[in-house]
Amino acid sequence: MNGHLPEWFRVPYDETSVTQMNDTLQSFQLNTVCTEADCPNLGECWHRHTATFMILGKYCTRNCRFCSVPHGKPEIPDVNEPSHIADAVQALGLHHVVITQVTRDDLADGGASQFAACIRAIRNLSEDVTIEVLISDMKGDHTALDTVMEAGPDIIGHNLETVPSLYAAVRPQAIYSRSLDVLAHVKECSPKILTKTGIMVGLGETKEEVLQTMEDARANGCDIFTIGQYLRPGKSNIEMKEYVPPAEFEEYRKAALQKGFRYVASGPLVRSSYHAEEALL
Amino acid sequence: MQKEIKMPRLSSSMKEGLLGAWRIQPRERVQKGDVLFEIETDKVVSEVEAPCSGWLSRQCFEEGDMVDVGETVCIIETDGEDA
Repeated sequence: MNGHLPEWFRVPYDETSVTQMNDTLQSFQLNTVCTEADCPNLGECWHRHTATFMILGKYCTRNCRFCSVPHGKPEIPDVNEPSHIADAVQALGLHHVVITQVTRDDLADGGASQFAACIRAIRNLSEDVTIEVLISDMKGDHTALDTVMEAGPDIIGHNLETVPSLYAAVRPQAIYSRSLDVLAHVKECSPKILTKTGIMVGLGETKEEVLQTMEDARANGCDIFTIGQYLRPGKSNIEMKEYVPPAEFEEYRKAALQKGFRYVASGPLVRSSYHAEEALL
Repeated sequence: MQKEIKMPRLSSSMKEGLLGAWRIQPRERVQKGDVLFEIETDKVVSEVEAPCSGWLSRQCFEEGDMVDVGETVCIIETDGEDA
C-alpha cells in the first residue's frame, strides 16, 4: 500500500468486464457517471453489470467543488437518449437501473421530462426492471418533480451531499432546505416511491452534524441514506480533510438505522448508487 | 498462447499509472480472477485481475515504476502452452 492511502481503499479491476461494458455503452452513445466522475468503484460495478447512466449531456451548469463532472456549455437534450438507455438496459440484462443527470439549470424543467421519457422507455422494453433516478434539485420546482414522479420510478434520490455548515464551501449553488424540500415533496405526493439521499464525509464535518443531517432527512420522509468518503477528484476540487475509518462508518450505519431509515449504505467507498439494488431486496 | 496484460485507463484523464505491487511472481500459476498487480492512484488501489488462466511468464516493470496507459505490464502464457 502506498504512503498516503489507508489500507481499506482497495478495489478489484476486471479489464474484460470493463471493456465489454464500455463497448456496449459506446455503441448506444451513452454517458455514465461512473466514467465522467471517475468513480473508484467502476471496476467492481461494471464487473457486476451495473452502471449509473448519466443523461442530459456531459457538461453541468453548476460547479460543485466536490465533483469532477465538467462545468460548461450544456448540450441540447438528445431526443434519442431515452430509447438508447432502454435498449442498453435490455442488451445488458440489467435488473436495476440507476439514472442520474448533470444539473441543467438552463432547462425550464431542469431535465424532468427527459427523466420521465427514460423511465417510460425502459418500462416499455423491460417490465421487471426496477428504476432509480438520482435527480438535481430542479431548482425546487414542484411541477418538475411531479413530472418525474408521474413516470413512476421505484426510487427517487436527491443527494444532500454534505452537512449544512459546509454548503458554501462544497455546494455553493445549492440550498440545504431546498434539497430537503425535494425529498419531502416526493414523499408527500408519491408515498410509494422510495426516497434516497446521500452525503460525503471527510470534508471537515462533525459527527454531530452528520447525525443532525440524518435527522433532517428522516424528518422529510427520506427512506434510504448513503454515506461515503469524499475523495478529491483533482486539484481544482475542494481538499479532503480526513480519512474516516471504517469503524466510524459502521457507527453511522447503526445510527441511521436507529433513526428509521429502511436501508443504509455506509462505508469508505460507498457512493449514491453503489450496490443500489440492495435497497429493494 | 501469450496474453499481454496492459496498464488500464482507470479514469478518463489517466495517462499513466503507478505500479504499486506485484501479487504474482514469474512462473507462478495464475487462475482467471487472481490479482496480478496493484495500481495506485490518488483515490484507490486497483487490483488488476487475470483475464485468463495460465502462468506468469514475464513482469515487464518493477514495483514503483510509472507505466503509460496501454503499455504491457506483464505477459501470461495461457493454458495449453508448454511451460
